[in-house]
Amino acid sequence: MFSLGYLLQQTMNGVVLGCIYALLALGMTVVYGILRLINFAHGALITLGAFFTYFILVRLGIPLVATIFLVLGFGGLMGLVLDIVAYRKLRGGPEVALLITSLGFYTFIENFMKMVVSPQPYAFKTPSYLTTIFRTSFLTFRTIDLFIIGASIAIMWCFHLFIKKTKMGIAMRAIAENLEVASIMGIEINRVISVAFVLGSALAAFTGFMWGAKYGQISYDMGFLTGVKAFVAVVVGGVGSVPGAMVGGVILGLAEILSTAFLPTYFSEYRDGIVFAILILVLLVRPSGIMGVKEEVRV
Amino acid sequence: MLKIENLTVKYGVIPAVHNANLEVREGQIVALLGANGAGKTTILKTIMGILKPAEGNIYYQGESINFFSPPQRVKMGITLVPEGRGIFNRLSVEENLFLGAYHRSDKEEVEKDLNRIYTLFPRLQERKEQIAGTLSGGEQQMLALGRGLMSRPLLILLDEPSLGLAPLLVRELYSFIANIRKEGVTILLVEQNATMALKVCDYVYLLETGVVKVQGIAEEVWSREDVKKVYLGG
Repeated sequence: MFSLGYLLQQTMNGVVLGCIYALLALGMTVVYGILRLINFAHGALITLGAFFTYFILVRLGIPLVATIFLVLGFGGLMGLVLDIVAYRKLRGGPEVALLITSLGFYTFIENFMKMVVSPQPYAFKTPSYLTTIFRTSFLTFRTIDLFIIGASIAIMWCFHLFIKKTKMGIAMRAIAENLEVASIMGIEINRVISVAFVLGSALAAFTGFMWGAKYGQISYDMGFLTGVKAFVAVVVGGVGSVPGAMVGGVILGLAEILSTAFLPTYFSEYRDGIVFAILILVLLVRPSGIMGVKEEVRV
Repeated sequence: MLKIENLTVKYGVIPAVHNANLEVREGQIVALLGANGAGKTTILKTIMGILKPAEGNIYYQGESINFFSPPQRVKMGITLVPEGRGIFNRLSVEENLFLGAYHRSDKEEVEKDLNRIYTLFPRLQERKEQIAGTLSGGEQQMLALGRGLMSRPLLILLDEPSLGLAPLLVRELYSFIANIRKEGVTILLVEQNATMALKVCDYVYLLETGVVKVQGIAEEVWSREDVKKVYLGG
């Protein structure tokens, strides 16, 4: 049963799930780096993105490429609105106020979705061109797996370049390190924070689409645990570190799938618990995460 | 160029600066001296817009700037080189310099200024890819100054530039500050190290627990016996 093919197959499944976590973690780590906010609203964007694509791609049959741009735009817009309406007013106040607000937004969206789309899960009928099956001697996969891996690598690469090379990216890193000094460099802090929310939320909505297309089922509460796990990926990789978020995401995805695949079946129910066990282990060995820098205490 | 009228700044209810009046004329080096906790940094931060005045007005080039944000003030030509250098430790030397010119859109001129800074401080060019946190104290101070100059300031606020530097470096730093002035930049200098500051500046304000106690032309203040005793350690 534990053949090489099985191992490869499960590894691939793990990587696909890991890519989804990694994309979520990217947006979260940037927001956390700047605002010290565990953005639970990120989870709400997963749900919203999933249902948004469900309605336009599955119900209305809008072409895939257009759907991708629409869902990114939709997520980004939601992020911008959330920032301007809710978060911006709380800046300068205690950090916990932001946390409560993001949790409140998540709760609101979850209940709103429960009311609007029903508490029953929806079957996400992925268009057939995304479910074409390929068989090789070792691996069996569908177009959607390739799509997720390819899109994730492309997005992560672009994001890396954005953070490293662009003026906005450098400003984000500067703000994450020292907000006050960044402001006297002439950086418009609010604008940069909005960009961080727009990017993160666009990615979160996009992963909602990936999730639906890959696992074929979406529900009003799908964003919560996924969002929390993405935050675990952030912490495992090293808070505030962009490469760390990617590494953390993939590690988490692999661990979740491989542990279910190779541990005796009665362990499979502990799938989510294993994720958190990894978090605890990593934090015991490396308190600032795999690629994190040691945090100075901020007064 | 810069005029501060009846400025009071409070942390909570405790006033850090009380009813201060200051003026910096174009082309001058003005020194703001005083012991730790006298309110020097508070004044600089208020000029920059990081702190809000409880009372009083700040005029820059004849215009009240009380309600302007820090980035707006940077665009108007005010730059603060913060205390303890305030460089971005996790960013490279070149990224730090580049951030100094963040508000500028004249790319070619920024490039020119970058080269000018590298000519002034060859050490920075040698280390431009290096993470700023790994520089020595003197190099970090050069970087902070270079970054300040990258914004092409009309008025530069220097907060304790000699803090933690070896005496030889301090002398070098001050000849550099004198050079900046020759290029037409007005300087407001905050120092605990009064001896050095008094040698280069035109006008002096002595601050004590948030109140301006003595002011005057540098030479005059320098020669006053009572001032020497209290502020300059004999």
